[in-house]
Amino acid sequence: MENVVELKNVTKKFKDFSVENIDLQVKQGFVTGFIGANGAGKSTTIKMMMNLLKPDAGEVKLFGLDYKTHEKAIKERIGFVYDGNVFFEGLNLKDIKRIVAPAYKHWDDTLFFQYIEQFELPLNKAIKTFSKGMQMKASLAIALSHHAELIIMDEPTAGLDPIFRRELLALLQELMVDGNRTIFFSTHITTDLDRIADYIALMQSGELVLNKSIHDVAEDYALVKGGMDLLDRDTEKDFVHIHRASTGFEALTNNIKAVKNTFGDTVVIERASLEDIMYYLKGGIHHV
Amino acid sequence: MFNLIRRDVILQKRQLLIFIPTILSFIILDKHHPAFIFIIASIIIPFSTYAYDEKAETNILLNSLPYTRTEIIASRYLGAIVYMVLAIVVTSLALFAFNKPFAMTDIAIASGLFLLFAAFTFPLFYIIKPGYFFMAVLITFFLLAGIGPAIVLFLAEHLAAITNFITNLSVPTLYTGAALVVIGVYVISWGISTVIYHRKAF
Repeated sequence: MENVVELKNVTKKFKDFSVENIDLQVKQGFVTGFIGANGAGKSTTIKMMMNLLKPDAGEVKLFGLDYKTHEKAIKERIGFVYDGNVFFEGLNLKDIKRIVAPAYKHWDDTLFFQYIEQFELPLNKAIKTFSKGMQMKASLAIALSHHAELIIMDEPTAGLDPIFRRELLALLQELMVDGNRTIFFSTHITTDLDRIADYIALMQSGELVLNKSIHDVAEDYALVKGGMDLLDRDTEKDFVHIHRASTGFEALTNNIKAVKNTFGDTVVIERASLEDIMYYLKGGIHHV
Repeated sequence: MFNLIRRDVILQKRQLLIFIPTILSFIILDKHHPAFIFIIASIIIPFSTYAYDEKAETNILLNSLPYTRTEIIASRYLGAIVYMVLAIVVTSLALFAFNKPFAMTDIAIASGLFLLFAAFTFPLFYIIKPGYFFMAVLITFFLLAGIGPAIVLFLAEHLAAITNFITNLSVPTLYTGAALVVIGVYVISWGISTVIYHRKAF
């Protein structure tokens, strides 16, 4: 399986925040969801993928090429959608297309107008009059109109109403029919991922703590519930993080087999949702 | 790269509507030196583009499109020359139409001063925080206009060697020399801006 994006040991330090030793692979032909709490370092990582930020150390490769020598070739193959509107807000879509289209060798006008029609976007109204959902659709139409192989999206679903969020996810799914296409998108709404993601990458306080297929995640992690009397220094070793309450404990494990061996039928083992995993991993990857 | 230069026209369709009347009013008023009108005409387009490029979003957009940072800066510096030439052509036609006399020297002086002004202010744009650029440009302008002549006079009085050297030059040598200096400063400024822009994070 080929990696479209490859980050090796990437580190970027800011005054009060840093992203450290990121090793991230994005597989070709799949949807990878990039999750993490606000401020975990998702946008910083995406900016390094887009060469808007240069890492202090490590290697960033897209399509097996590096930015130093192949910047244009790489960006030619990427479609990007950012959280906010990056287009000149005083201009209408027609003028924005006039500015963006000539930048790409493979720009497809027919495809662009097809998306404009599908998304019901006005061509002659200034972007600043668009609603958040319309701005997102406009960015998406532009990102999809030059036959990009990789689509990178930073929080595309943030601020969208649930109906449009579903429409957007359905559309992304449709795009994946073309087997060469890869989608990488960040979100903090984990239910988005249950629907369409094949792979999950999870960031936490500047570190990548998880990069697995969604299938493996479901198999590797589980939520365990039981009485407080079951916990002691030995049994606690099976858990990533434990939440204690007077009524009992709830904990996340990444070693389901060991939990079954230790506790047998005395505990309830449930499937852990992505949100559960995010929440419990936030307590620290180290054993408590 | 040509697309990046052309972008300014698409962005500034409305400003272009102001451009022509501004130039015409200067000409009809007939109070200003033709060289001054040429400078004003040259400045309008390249400097109003900065109002757009000041925004972080614009830089994110341009840098996400298949352009290199070197190209983005090159389009600025080449664009300034292209728009200067166009502005001079339009202004010359307007002056000609209104039967106002002007000389090639006016054009030469105006374009020389414009390029110098651009050379000093463009790198500032990439150093100074967004929002403060126009203030910085205004201050630079008034400083140059206010102190500049005094410095030149001071130098002329106290450094006789240089004054003598300059006055002894023939007119063609003087013009060629000045042109070379202007081009040199412009190219250095271009290089500085490129280095600064490469180091920026968006």
